[in-house]
Amino acid sequence: MEHELQNLEREARQELAAITANSQLEDFRIRFLGRKSRFSTILRQLGSASDEDRPRLGQLANTIKKEIERLYEQRQEAIRQSTSTADETEAQPDLSLPGRVAEIGRLHPVTQIMQEICAIFENLGFSVAEGPDVEQDYYNFEALNIPAHHPARDMHDTFYVSDSILLRTHTSPMQARIMETRQPPLRVIAPGKVYRCDSDITHTPMFHQVEGFLVDKQVSFADLKGVLTVFTQKMFERDLPLRFRPSFFPFTEPSAEVDIACVICGGEGCRVCKKTGWLEILGSGMIDPEVFRMVGYDPEVYSGFAFGLGVERIAMLKYGIDDIRLYYENDQRFLSQF
Amino acid sequence: MKFTLDWLNHYVDTDGHTADQLAEYLTMLGLEVDAVSPLHQELAPLKTARIISAQPHPDADKLTLCEVAVGDEILQIVCGAPNARSGLNTVVALPGTTLPGEMKIKKSKVRGVESCGMLCSERELALSDSHTGIMELPEGTAHGQSFITALGLEDTMIEVDLTPNRPDCASVIGIAREIAGKLQRPLRLPVEGARVDHTSRSFSVDVESSELCPRYAARLVTGIKIGPSPMWLRNRLTSIGLRPINNVVDITNFVMMEYGQPLHAFDFDNLKGGKIIVRSPKDGETTFTTLDGVERKLSPEMLLICDGDRPVALAGIMGGMNSEVTEDTTTVLLESACFNPVSIRKTARRLGLATDASYRFERGVDPDGVCNAMDRAVQLLSELADGTAEDAGRDVYLGRLPMKTLTLRVSRTCSLLGIDLHAATITTLLQSIGFLCKPKDDDTLWVRIPTYRVDIDREADLIEEVARLHGYGNIPVTLPQVSLSYPEQDQGRIKRTTITRLLTGIGFSEAINYSFSNDKYLDLLQLASDDDRRHTVRLLNPLSEEQGVLRTSLLPGLLENVDRNIRFQKTEVKLFELGKVFTDIGAATQPIERNRLAGILCGNRHGYASPLHFKENKVDFLDAKGAVEFILGQMRLNLPAGPTRIDFQLPGPDGREPFVVPGETLQVRHAETVLGSLGRIRPEILRSFDIKLDVFYFDLDFDALCNLVAAPKSFTALPVYPSVKRDIALVIPGSIAAGDLVNAIRTSRDALIEDVTIFDVYQGKTIQKGYKSVAISVTYRSSTKTLTEKNVEKSNRKIVDLLTEKFGASLRDA
Repeated sequence: MEHELQNLEREARQELAAITANSQLEDFRIRFLGRKSRFSTILRQLGSASDEDRPRLGQLANTIKKEIERLYEQRQEAIRQSTSTADETEAQPDLSLPGRVAEIGRLHPVTQIMQEICAIFENLGFSVAEGPDVEQDYYNFEALNIPAHHPARDMHDTFYVSDSILLRTHTSPMQARIMETRQPPLRVIAPGKVYRCDSDITHTPMFHQVEGFLVDKQVSFADLKGVLTVFTQKMFERDLPLRFRPSFFPFTEPSAEVDIACVICGGEGCRVCKKTGWLEILGSGMIDPEVFRMVGYDPEVYSGFAFGLGVERIAMLKYGIDDIRLYYENDQRFLSQF
Repeated sequence: MKFTLDWLNHYVDTDGHTADQLAEYLTMLGLEVDAVSPLHQELAPLKTARIISAQPHPDADKLTLCEVAVGDEILQIVCGAPNARSGLNTVVALPGTTLPGEMKIKKSKVRGVESCGMLCSERELALSDSHTGIMELPEGTAHGQSFITALGLEDTMIEVDLTPNRPDCASVIGIAREIAGKLQRPLRLPVEGARVDHTSRSFSVDVESSELCPRYAARLVTGIKIGPSPMWLRNRLTSIGLRPINNVVDITNFVMMEYGQPLHAFDFDNLKGGKIIVRSPKDGETTFTTLDGVERKLSPEMLLICDGDRPVALAGIMGGMNSEVTEDTTTVLLESACFNPVSIRKTARRLGLATDASYRFERGVDPDGVCNAMDRAVQLLSELADGTAEDAGRDVYLGRLPMKTLTLRVSRTCSLLGIDLHAATITTLLQSIGFLCKPKDDDTLWVRIPTYRVDIDREADLIEEVARLHGYGNIPVTLPQVSLSYPEQDQGRIKRTTITRLLTGIGFSEAINYSFSNDKYLDLLQLASDDDRRHTVRLLNPLSEEQGVLRTSLLPGLLENVDRNIRFQKTEVKLFELGKVFTDIGAATQPIERNRLAGILCGNRHGYASPLHFKENKVDFLDAKGAVEFILGQMRLNLPAGPTRIDFQLPGPDGREPFVVPGETLQVRHAETVLGSLGRIRPEILRSFDIKLDVFYFDLDFDALCNLVAAPKSFTALPVYPSVKRDIALVIPGSIAAGDLVNAIRTSRDALIEDVTIFDVYQGKTIQKGYKSVAISVTYRSSTKTLTEKNVEKSNRKIVDLLTEKFGASLRDA
């Protein structure tokens, strides 16, 4: 039996070496490795071998079978490779052609920046709220400590619908709207469209702002600096120098404008930053006690800060867009760049 | 607010600090500097000169041939000025100089005589309007010097963009006070003349309302000689953009800029009855001519300055033509007053008349400073206009406010700012700009507010002052210690964000158009007169009629975008917009705002994807429908097993949008609610937008979609048994919708039917006219066993029978 196995192995080797086509290979498999092969016949005789010889013979049979299988696979691979080499000369793909992918569209750059801004604040635990574009004079001005005939109204070129209804000039009305209905602690941002009757190379009559505010016990101006520093670092993806300087908004006290080192010239002074090395990016401040009083919060108990930033301006700085009118022409050559 | 460095230096010594440094200090104090501009740079090459001889030009009557000494050089210059004479000190522009107004000086021949430069008039140097002759510089002016140095014209103009809360800094002294505090140097106030009291015998002052006019002071100055102001004063005014007029008017303007207190000079001889009355217009006083010659309409709430008979000035805004100072004026009544800010603002707004005076009164002037400014002006009138102020004048101060003293808690200051400051530091900071501090208790200071700080009323205002003076940069950067809470999110916003992102995945780019629109677009879309979208919100003060209303539809904006893209050779347009539309429900209330989602398609289906891979085909109706089905599917609406069914219906003439091609539109409905529509836009409507290509649209009420119940995501066990597919090819009358066949099969309630799809629709020469061939593929599956040929055949036959019976379909011959 041992002898038979060895013969079988020799024959298999000889036959395999001569095989050049898949059909021959299949024939070989049936005869040598299949259920009705010679190999199987030999194995079936294993039962009649003596107890003494059986383990040794079994092991031998197994080794030989594995060896034949290995040779068979080797041959199979060799045949596959030789046939495919032959095919290549017939239909070879031109690898220099562009890859195939369907075209996708783009979100408007203003939307992209707005989502980025919101995401940064959402990660800091702010919730997002939206309000009406057509607003009451009360929320746009009165509730923000800007009574009728206050000179601060000059800072807002307002579109009016009637004496008491207007297009909101900032997203700040959301401060009053939210504080009116919720209790501190509050962390909210309010993105949206705002309107000013002003139109030139640097102003469009509609643009986008994101308002944000945080109200709690023991919130300080230092905290305002902290949150806005985190924001600008994340937004511009680097550790830009930041400058807080005093300003005036009737609804914050103290008020601060925030400048970042010019992203174009790095602070050296250029046309974009008007040679100052700084770019104004947002207005902010500690919420005025008067605003708290109007919504029924006790300013002795709660403090908070608020800020508002222009989305188009940040997109301009981040993407280097130099003409604000492009935003609303929806030219696909513009949209497809972002 | 503009001033110059030299001017500032009169009140505070800024030695050792450049204009740029001072600008930086001011900006960081909250007085944002907009511009720092060196003045008279274009005059820098000019030299002082002396005419050493002057002879008539041999060939011209009006020209003079001058020999001019400029330092070591003697030049020959031809001059046309009548005052060119020997011994005159003047100014010369040498060849190569460019004068203001782009005039280039060259060596030239004038009527045959060489001329090596030009002697200049003030107008030629843009210093004034004077052009009667060349400039006459004082005796003793050395020649060959830099002209601007010799005249003290070297200076730098600084412009501050004032915030409305700081009227005290609408004055050079106010700015100087801030700088003095910053540099810890003394503030030097000008010498003022003798004090006004209220004992005048020459005139009386009567103030009707102390609320509208808290203080009115006036003083007579006699013996005035009207004439031009001296060079220094004219120069001060021109350097900040004011036009010199005459000495009296210039002095009032100069003192206003110096103190921030507007002044007005009346010609006393034109005031009737020796009276000043501050009052509202009487019946019949309907117009008043201001000194700019414009007739202004008066209204009852305005405040006037009147003499015994008639109005002579619009209080706090502008004087009248009838009493203005002229060449012939000899006696001046000088007014220095304080008016109610709101009243001045209302009047200025109403008249559309904003002046330097109204700017200051609207924001609030220092009532206690009224007489200082007047005394200063009186002193200058006597110095520069020969005036004498023998009469003691009048001062009616009925609206005097109590001294403002506030308390300031050190602990509160520190906790609100997040810093650690001592009472002593706070005191030093506040006192540096004129506040007076006294300790009240361990934690509290009494702070007396100077009267010029009309903006400081509360502790919070003082805390801001402390922060400002301490420097925002010196406040630490910390993060808030807050309690953790979950940020509640606006679900509508999340849906909008998701859908917009998904739409980019099927090739749509996002457009954002103005919320403004115009009624003309509603006409272009041929909307009926009773269409809801005709209820536009109208703006009272639009930028232009083009943008006179708020939009009620997103489509006009998108169609304009298509036009623009086509004009720039981008003919493959796939845009969507998700934005608000506004429906008017009466101007006294806020309109209804709804988010809509609209899309527009035109040109090649695959956009600019490589035609090598994607066959170029024009978009058609089914692309628009596909987009809508995609949106609904992604919102988990209209799913087979979902709770919300949405129908696409062919609308009749009543329900159809007026701008669609009738047979190529569908209405999107949920039960009776119309959620939107889609279809092909009629070519004649497109032509009015200058579009010649086929355009398809969809327009959905996004807020309504958000309110429908979406199908929850839930798992269905994967099938264990294999499915069997059968294709059925049928010929049906052309009028029958293929979708109806599918619906009929789906609703036949055969439990074995898993899926039905149409895979081909054909109308052509092998099919009888008026009929079409529809090929349907049906998938059968049982959840309990492997289907046999017999099971499937039975179900399939039932379907064919159903379709034959219901739609007159016949099996197509293989």
